[in-house]
Amino acid sequence: MLNLISFSSSPLGALGQLSLLGALAFSVGGLLLSVLGGLRGDARVTEAARRATWAVFALLTLGTLILLTALLRDDFTVRFVAEHSMRASPTWVKVTALWGALEGSILLWAWLLGGFTFILSLTLRRDALRPWALGAMFVSLLFFVGVVATVASPFTPVATVPLDGRGPNPALQNHWMMAVHPVLLYLGFVGLSVPFAYAVAALVTGRLSDHWVVVTRRWTLIAWAFLTAAIVAGGWWSYETLGWGGYWAWDPVENASFIPWLLTTAFLHSIQIQERRGLMRSWNVWLIVLAYSSTVLGTFLNRSGIVQSVHAFAGGPVGPVFLGFLAFLLVSGTLLAAWRAPALRDEAEPPAPLSRESAFLAGNWLFLVFAVMVLVGTLFPTFVEAAQGRRDASVGPAFYNAFAIPLGLGLLALMGVGPLLPWRRADGQSLWRALVPLLLGGVAAAAVAFALGVRHAGVLGTLALSAYNVVGLILLTARAARQAGGLGAALGAQPRRYGAYLAHLGLIVMALGLAFSGSFRRDAQVTLNLNAAPVTLLAERLQLTGLDAVTRTDGKSVVARVQIDGRPFQARLNTYTQGGDTAFPSPAVRYGPLGDTYLVMTSVDPRGQWASVRLIESPLVSWIWWGTLIICVGAALTLASPRRATVRAPSGLAAATD
Amino acid sequence: MSDPSSPLPPAGQLGQARRRRRSPWPAVLGVAALVGLTGFIAFGNLNRSLEYFVTPTEYQQQQAQLQGRSIRIGGLVRDVQYDPQSLNLRFVVSDGGASFPVQYQGAVSDLFKENQGVVVRGEFEGNTFHASDLVVKHSEEYNVPKTQAELKDLLKTTE
Repeated sequence: MLNLISFSSSPLGALGQLSLLGALAFSVGGLLLSVLGGLRGDARVTEAARRATWAVFALLTLGTLILLTALLRDDFTVRFVAEHSMRASPTWVKVTALWGALEGSILLWAWLLGGFTFILSLTLRRDALRPWALGAMFVSLLFFVGVVATVASPFTPVATVPLDGRGPNPALQNHWMMAVHPVLLYLGFVGLSVPFAYAVAALVTGRLSDHWVVVTRRWTLIAWAFLTAAIVAGGWWSYETLGWGGYWAWDPVENASFIPWLLTTAFLHSIQIQERRGLMRSWNVWLIVLAYSSTVLGTFLNRSGIVQSVHAFAGGPVGPVFLGFLAFLLVSGTLLAAWRAPALRDEAEPPAPLSRESAFLAGNWLFLVFAVMVLVGTLFPTFVEAAQGRRDASVGPAFYNAFAIPLGLGLLALMGVGPLLPWRRADGQSLWRALVPLLLGGVAAAAVAFALGVRHAGVLGTLALSAYNVVGLILLTARAARQAGGLGAALGAQPRRYGAYLAHLGLIVMALGLAFSGSFRRDAQVTLNLNAAPVTLLAERLQLTGLDAVTRTDGKSVVARVQIDGRPFQARLNTYTQGGDTAFPSPAVRYGPLGDTYLVMTSVDPRGQWASVRLIESPLVSWIWWGTLIICVGAALTLASPRRATVRAPSGLAAATD
Repeated sequence: MSDPSSPLPPAGQLGQARRRRRSPWPAVLGVAALVGLTGFIAFGNLNRSLEYFVTPTEYQQQQAQLQGRSIRIGGLVRDVQYDPQSLNLRFVVSDGGASFPVQYQGAVSDLFKENQGVVVRGEFEGNTFHASDLVVKHSEEYNVPKTQAELKDLLKTTE
């Protein structure tokens, strides 16, 4: 409820609120203009709508800057600042407090959406899709700006101005990654609004030819790369700060970002079938509607409190509002697609069972099943509560691993076959010939691992499929390089293809990291006495050489100096002035190419005579982070333009059997 | 197998628009995968991996069902015995109505006190609860007693 009179005590709050209301007004106007321009086919009206996006972006930028100013100036007349910031915080924490709580994070989301709409307005072609794509962006803007200007406004004033704010959540200021992770995540989520807008425009205009898919590929890739980076960054944050030595717990918050990732990955592959063969038109429309909806669903789940999560933000009225928007997206998407169903029929021949498009389609099914299963696991406790009246039931990691491992292996297997298959139709014999080296590589890798004593089926499968994939990628690249007269020439001619290969390679590196760190992690706890004889733990010698108390501006830390096999480690326990006595661990991690040594202080003697520590040895964890980097480099490479104007993709097998 | 066949019913549960002359097998594969997985869930995997949250009194009432399953139990801490050198922790979890002894191997912070609210994960062996970990909840509005207040509410409803 807006009480404009009370703003007199908070000039910054009033100014911020006004800029948001202005952005809201321009969003409404822009939406009306877009629809009008689209219906009348009037380019001038559409141009006006295009310019409205600039006003919205400018006003949202102003609003965001005002909130940032209020945070940096410790202006506690603004409620958001009073509740989520404080004087003593370091500057970077004050900046990140902007998205450390609900209202600010929705403002950031709206601002990024405004930014994407602005970029889109500069790149849109002057065609029939333009007004409708803008209109669909305005619908999203209207929702997010509407939420941030009304029910979740960060600018509402406080009646009695406190001397100091309540401060940010300590868990969020414990590591700089928390400053980056949400921004990456929202960039990924918001990026998906653009392909969604194009899909809506294609449906409304009935121009379902393959143009919209070609245009959205880049947008989708960029969004997807951000989403990938965001999910892994979240895992890394968890690894670095929560002190359990893990990076993924199938927490509802994690799942909420993983479901859109799965659907977007599927979409990235299925649009290529449409681009090359004109197939899967309706499938693609559905997929992008689902993927975009799933970003809203995730936010709804985590903000409404219907799912108990380790770090669910408290919601208020925001949950139902997001649920309404989710329902609106799904219903309007369904109605549009149903209305255009006749035009969505594929014109080309259906794919042969043994062809690249079939491999892509099978992969798409696996991604879909994966996403549905993660959703089922996330929502199941809610269903149980509704049906049996039991509070707080939760689904453990065992449930997710039971399907995630086989599905992941299935995807790895398809990933190896796909690039070998030609479009349209493969002939079984030549496929078999092409597969032999891959299968040999896979079997050899598994046999070597088995001989070395690996007995874990999931790890053996991952190893075998990784070797099989790597052999396939090397053979394909080598053959192409021979034909093109050098690796550089092949790369320059087809950056898309080799970018995809590189991304696949990154995924393999990541899969190995996940399999090994998940299966061979060792973990033990012990209490170390100051300057006592070394204790042996996990075949390593631990010695506590010092315990220091450090006072920071925003709290205190205890630092334990531990020698592990003669190498120094410094594990910390941080307390924050606004976090009471709760201590947040800051583990000491020694990263290694083959494994990490991870030391967490779990408790400390108030008299400084002993410290309890937990030592975790996980093999290949770093491969997850490096794999992600390779994936993102590969994704960037696919965005590069080929050196020649037209690229005819030679079918891999035809080349092999010439 | 590869010849185009008659229209298929929409595949999957997502209600795709109907297509003409699609090769049946990808759809068949997808439906089979979905059906298989759904069956897999229905036959108890999900139910087995579901972890219930109970108070000691609730556990007493449903002992037959929950014996040997991984559960979370919540209540107030009583009779703490903790040896930081061996990391052995023994305490009693109680909700006023019923109480059970808990064993845990691992470090606890000095916040772990008498009458503190606690949630532990693990399973019962006989009448002793073997905890695999102590669950800590984070909340955005960061204040520690919140979980305790929630627990007290819980305890009120079970009395």
